[in-house]
Amino acid sequence: MAYKDFRDFLDTLKKEGQILTIEDEVMPEPDLGSAGRAINNVSDKSPALLFTNIHGYNNAKVAMNVIGSWPNHALMMGLPKNTPVKEQFFEFARRWDNYPVPVERMDSAPFQEVVVNEDVNLFDILPLFRLNQYDGGFYIDKACVISRDPSDPDNFGKQNVGIYRIQVKGKDSLGIQPVPQHDIAIHFRLAEERGENLPVALAIGCEPVITTMAGAPIGYDQSEYEMAGAIQGEPYKVFTLPGTNLDVPWGAEVILEGEILAGVREFEGPFGEFTGHYSGGRRMPEIRIKRVYHRKNPIFEHLYIGMPWTETDYMVGVNTCVPIYQQLKEAFPNEIVAVNAMYTHGLVAIVSTKKRYGGFAKAVGMRTLTTPHGLGYCKLVIVVDETVDPFNLPQVMWALSTKMHPAHDVIILPDMSVMPLDPGANPPGITHKMILDATTPVAPETRGHYSQPLDSPVATEKWEKIFQDLLKN
Amino acid sequence: MTTCPRCDSTEAQMVAESPVKGAWTVYSCPVCFYTWRSTEDEKFTDPAKYEPAFKVRQEDIPNATVVPAIAQRIK
Ligand SMILES: [Zn+2]
Repeated sequence: MAYKDFRDFLDTLKKEGQILTIEDEVMPEPDLGSAGRAINNVSDKSPALLFTNIHGYNNAKVAMNVIGSWPNHALMMGLPKNTPVKEQFFEFARRWDNYPVPVERMDSAPFQEVVVNEDVNLFDILPLFRLNQYDGGFYIDKACVISRDPSDPDNFGKQNVGIYRIQVKGKDSLGIQPVPQHDIAIHFRLAEERGENLPVALAIGCEPVITTMAGAPIGYDQSEYEMAGAIQGEPYKVFTLPGTNLDVPWGAEVILEGEILAGVREFEGPFGEFTGHYSGGRRMPEIRIKRVYHRKNPIFEHLYIGMPWTETDYMVGVNTCVPIYQQLKEAFPNEIVAVNAMYTHGLVAIVSTKKRYGGFAKAVGMRTLTTPHGLGYCKLVIVVDETVDPFNLPQVMWALSTKMHPAHDVIILPDMSVMPLDPGANPPGITHKMILDATTPVAPETRGHYSQPLDSPVATEKWEKIFQDLLKN
Repeated sequence: MTTCPRCDSTEAQMVAESPVKGAWTVYSCPVCFYTWRSTEDEKFTDPAKYEPAFKVRQEDIPNATVVPAIAQRIK
């Protein structure tokens, strides 16, 4: 089942009791950013937030934390809201294998209701606000940014949908952070080499599946739209923006159309990041916006980002685990059981695996480091037995505390690659990495006293079912 | 023109006024691109009270790291 658009998903959240509408007047600063932070502090089952009365605005609506909890993530996939995280992971991986699902092309889109062709002032169109105290300005931080490969413009798969941090720097100008690992950085480099600007569209307020895919590390020539189709189980609806070759999500609330300017870098930042630290200020590319489309009274979707856990961590949690899992299974199809790479976008990853022979788990750890995502993340890989649930941290701690021998099971690899935002990297982009083998030694490794593992009493599963039924209501 | 609380340039300009008249004004600095709203705490609007660790020196801006590097033009 698919959500038609952003409002359709908000309606579902309402029916499921997973959205809180705040009708009391709030200040743009510091209330919106503070509320976005606070809702993740109080629970991991927290609702989305919809603010409908923002000081100084007439009809502005701001939605936050839309995918910011496990129940909301489950609802994104059309699953019951109490689906355990591990089940969400396996269901996401199962649907991932249905890629690609071709898109459905639409002739018109709801956001064509209002078109602004001249004198664009983003401050008037969007209820912008400062999120964290020392952010350099007001950001758009959950827009799907769409661009095409200028060297292969007809290749639908190479069209990219990604989420990047975007600072509103003037009435019609934005700063964008495309770090070199991002697909849009490849598009922009190809355009810049030709001396051309790169056309882009920003879609704000989309249904949550495309937002989730835009934040997923999929292949360069894989289409986020065709993957969204696989995840939602039906073709994704797109609309080609008039006068461009950019396909945008049909249901978006707001579309900003413009170009990234070749040869231009201007000061941007700092911005509070998912690492729990500010990024520092750097000179980054500029986008000039020339046209805006929006629904009447559009809803501005935003997310809080900062020290985990925030909506960002729920949004990129499962969609980071699944590609690493798929890539590890290509190498070791009969052994890999599950991957939990949800900690600070996978800077820490936990892999559950069977073993072929002594030393095997360490090889699984090494392979994790060399997956595409591992190259920039996976600073610490913990490998656990197939009987340990990597999503159950107390079990992982038990494995570390009983199976790991510091003299044999700690591998440190010097000066490996990591994404430059890792505040511990030195220089930026370089860090040592570590594998902790917390699996039970197998032959020819015979150390330790592991021959008498403790089983649960035989009727435990039966009693689990009994208690689950008794406790259901 | 007004003074930027972050980099002390005197070129900051009004970029928006609240749709509800008189509620607030948004200013933006064309030198360091700091943007602020008149209703924010004076820690974010007063050049003398802006957190020193987050101040930006105008002379440092041209030397800030460029991300990504500007691609060489290929004919
Ligand atoms: Zn300034």
